[in-house]
Amino acid sequence: MAHTLASTRLFNLPASFRFTCVNLARTFSVLNRPPPHYAGHVPLNVFERGAVAAGSAIMSLLNPRRGDLIAALGETTATPYFIYRLRDVMLSSPTGRRILRDRPRITSQTMSVTKLRAMAENTVGRAYVDWLDREGVSPDTRDSVKYIDDEECAYVMQRYRESHDFYHALTGLPVFVEGEVALKAFEFANTLLPMTGLSIFAVTRMKPAERSRFWRTYLPWALSNGLKSKEVINVYWEEQLERDIDDLRAELGLERPPDLRERRKAMKEQRKAAKEKREKMGGLMAD
Amino acid sequence: MVFGNAPRALRPYICSSCAKSLKLRSRKFATAASPDIYDVACVGGGPAGLSLLTALRSSKATSHLRLALIESQDLDRVRKWNLPPDQYSNRASSLTPSSQAFLSQIGAWPHIDTSRVQPYHHMRVWDGLSSTARITFDSPTPEPAIAHMIENQNLTRALLARLDSLEPISLLDKTSVREIHLGPPPSPLTPEPTYLNLSSYPHVTLSSNQTIAARLLIGADGPNSAVRTFAGIETRGYDYNRDGVVATLKLPSSFAHHPSSPRGVTAYQRFLPSGPIALLALPGPYASLVWTTTPSQSALLKTLSPEDFTAMVNAAFRLSAVDLNYMFTLPSNQLSEFQWRDSVHPSTASEAKGEIPHLISSVQQGSIASFPLRLRHASSYTTSRIALIGDAAHTIHPLAGQGLNMGLSDSKALAEAIEYAVCHGADIGDEMGCLDRYKGEVWWGNQRLLGAVDKLHWLYSVGSGPVVGVRKWGLRAVDVMGDLGVKGWLMRQAGGL
Amino acid sequence: MAIRLRNFRNLSLLLRQHPYRTHSSSTSSVNPTEVSHFEKLASSWWDPHGSSSLLHQMNPLRHDFISLCLDSQPDPPPARERKFLDVGCGGGIFAESAARLKETERVLAVDPSSGVIAVAKEHAKRDPLLSKPGRLEYQNKSIEDLAIPRSPDEQFDIVTLFEVIEHIDQPASFLKSCFPFVRPGGWLIISTIARTWTSWLTTKVVAEEVVRMVPRGTHDWDKYINEQELRSFFRAQEGWGRDGGLKSQGCIYVPGLGWKMVKESERWGNYFIGVRKDLDR
Repeated sequence: MAHTLASTRLFNLPASFRFTCVNLARTFSVLNRPPPHYAGHVPLNVFERGAVAAGSAIMSLLNPRRGDLIAALGETTATPYFIYRLRDVMLSSPTGRRILRDRPRITSQTMSVTKLRAMAENTVGRAYVDWLDREGVSPDTRDSVKYIDDEECAYVMQRYRESHDFYHALTGLPVFVEGEVALKAFEFANTLLPMTGLSIFAVTRMKPAERSRFWRTYLPWALSNGLKSKEVINVYWEEQLERDIDDLRAELGLERPPDLRERRKAMKEQRKAAKEKREKMGGLMAD
Repeated sequence: MVFGNAPRALRPYICSSCAKSLKLRSRKFATAASPDIYDVACVGGGPAGLSLLTALRSSKATSHLRLALIESQDLDRVRKWNLPPDQYSNRASSLTPSSQAFLSQIGAWPHIDTSRVQPYHHMRVWDGLSSTARITFDSPTPEPAIAHMIENQNLTRALLARLDSLEPISLLDKTSVREIHLGPPPSPLTPEPTYLNLSSYPHVTLSSNQTIAARLLIGADGPNSAVRTFAGIETRGYDYNRDGVVATLKLPSSFAHHPSSPRGVTAYQRFLPSGPIALLALPGPYASLVWTTTPSQSALLKTLSPEDFTAMVNAAFRLSAVDLNYMFTLPSNQLSEFQWRDSVHPSTASEAKGEIPHLISSVQQGSIASFPLRLRHASSYTTSRIALIGDAAHTIHPLAGQGLNMGLSDSKALAEAIEYAVCHGADIGDEMGCLDRYKGEVWWGNQRLLGAVDKLHWLYSVGSGPVVGVRKWGLRAVDVMGDLGVKGWLMRQAGGL
Repeated sequence: MAIRLRNFRNLSLLLRQHPYRTHSSSTSSVNPTEVSHFEKLASSWWDPHGSSSLLHQMNPLRHDFISLCLDSQPDPPPARERKFLDVGCGGGIFAESAARLKETERVLAVDPSSGVIAVAKEHAKRDPLLSKPGRLEYQNKSIEDLAIPRSPDEQFDIVTLFEVIEHIDQPASFLKSCFPFVRPGGWLIISTIARTWTSWLTTKVVAEEVVRMVPRGTHDWDKYINEQELRSFFRAQEGWGRDGGLKSQGCIYVPGLGWKMVKESERWGNYFIGVRKDLDR
């Protein structure tokens, strides 16, 4: 069954990669694959992991909408050191330890959107559900972790993934590429997961105006806040829902970046106004 | 000034170096009353002092020497020490084969209660941060064992029993040293025929107001040696800012140690960033703990309930450094924390393979204690008519289990030097005639061992960064090279071979 | 018959039987120059790093050689206490060490130099064991001035001549003066230096001039005697050295390590020689 799952994963990649990966799988571990440590676990050896990492890195750069590739990239690059480090970060904090003990999951079942919508303005829960509604996403869009061998670290990765939407709500960054890249930069500075750092390469896909905005404003914000604020992985979101969000931000030592949507709207209006002006001027000149 | 007071006639006959050494010494001199003169007076009745006197008495060449032992404790308590079979003292040490050979040679081994001695055949050492890096020491055959774990009091009781069985010596116990000074200066007047010049002989005034003089005064009186202070010998070293926590632990009865068990008995040592934790087997289901921790950690450990203390020990051998550091921040209830972490990462497989010790089930009441750790090495072990042995000469980190063995090998070397001197008619207090031989034999070897152990401590106290990786690979390399390389050298040093 | 160098050396020994200093008419072995040289060294005798440092370091080997001789006896003497006579004892380095041995009953040590005897006596006062009556006795005399023993009880088990004979003008007659003091079955133990190019280099050039471990003028190379010469001398004496009662052993000083016994080095360096008086003398 594990082998089938791996092939299902691999069928989504281009043919050449698929071929290479399957070949590697056949050569190195087909007969000796260890048993899975948890439901959905796919043990990979070093070569397979490297191949999946490389393949998913390139493919997700070409098509950033492929969440499953980004997930695979995240998992294969998190070992050997980074996910253990993140797990140790959780183990060093009393709240983090409680999270690891209780193992809460953020799904549409555990997070009732109706209840969240009923919460007061400016609470964490309300901000989260407002953001979900604004961006049109739901808590269930996250893939399950497959490629991390240690069961506890797999949970840490899952928790990180499921908390991602809370980070959006916390920072207010929107879900399109520019917002995501800025958030990924923040996450890299805060969690050190390699995939978050690699995602910054998506800068190459942004328009020049977006790119300049990123370098000038959002990257500096991301790095300075990511480094100085407390570890966001240790926030027990389920307990913080009714708390004032600015209070939480203050406790974490986090400042909101300039609202990206507003900025873009303002820039768009500015450009539209300038274009109209140019046309008017051009008409006049023609005369 | 001594030299100046001597009449002109006598002055040419006092050589310049003697005059110099007389000037440097204390200005206080004993009064004219002639004291009891001993050939060897040993201050300190610990393993080093007792083994030296036993060695001298048990060798034919030196058995006629006049010996005295000055000890502040009541030696009857040493003789009468007796614990039931289910209780073990928390001060236990690992005896190397060469120490054992020495004890057999002086006839003390038959007096040891061997039912309370545990030989062990393997040692597993691993790094607390890189769990895969481990080094194993194995004895090639079931006999001889790598070392024997023995309670210190078992050893001192045996030494005293052997000493009691030989020609009596002057045992001045329950007596402490009040003062030490040199004998009176050479008489300026024409001396009478019975005059003795004891100006170079140390005179020890005791708390009983008795004064004795010694041809050779031995300092076996521990790290704060009065003899060493009198001799003006400096020590070099520093405090490690660490405490050694000791305790007697109990394993589940099904895991009792048997000397004849097919796989042999294993000792374990794990290097954590704050210091190593070692579990050394005692007979039956008992084991001795030596854990190097920071002073704040040891203070916490001593306040914990027995269950929480046991959980900390188990955690120290099984859990990650992150978990352990967290558990040190809790005032109590480490047990539930340990149980949770152990369930997430069960270590039963490693335990079954003998890579880690079995779960400790309890700690012996009243056996948890701690002492500060320091490195000290006397700049010299000898001066005219003075020799230092044991902790008076050197203090070492317990991570290599060598302190007691170093003391015994000092005694052995000094006894041999004294024997050589006696057989060649030399004055045993004379540096060239006797003491230089002892110093040359042991000082450099001890210096090297102290240095190596010190460097190991500092190497393993690094918690993160590239040193950890290098350490891991280094440990692997040492293990792989086996007897040919460093591991072989370490084992030979440890075994005294 | 080729005349070998060795023959010349033997000849010199024979010649020394007769006084070659025509002006001297005394039968004493004492050479005033030698005595005054050692008087000057008296004060530093017991400084282990002073002028007598090499003698201090050599002393244990003297005991080793005596043990070697005693152990080689086919009929070991009963374990009784020994009596030593140390001739030319100097400051008493050997005499004290002999007096300290468990098996020693008595040591008589003599030296013609009054200064060194005073130093020896003063130093002996530092050891309670040596101050026991009769244990160690010093006399400021030469061997010729001592009363000849009239019975074996007055004789000595071991008579020692350590680093003495190379300072004597007429060694043969000096040795003969020592003979009456040895008990039958007892030993005459000598240490001295061979007369070779090597010994000239090491004892005169290096020791006295270069490293200055030995005071200048201590040794006169012409007075060194070779082991073979002494051996021939003793073989020629009746009642001495029978049945393996003649032993010799060379030793070398290694800077930093001290004196070491080295086989065959008696031919060219420092050496010990011991000869046993036959039992039926």
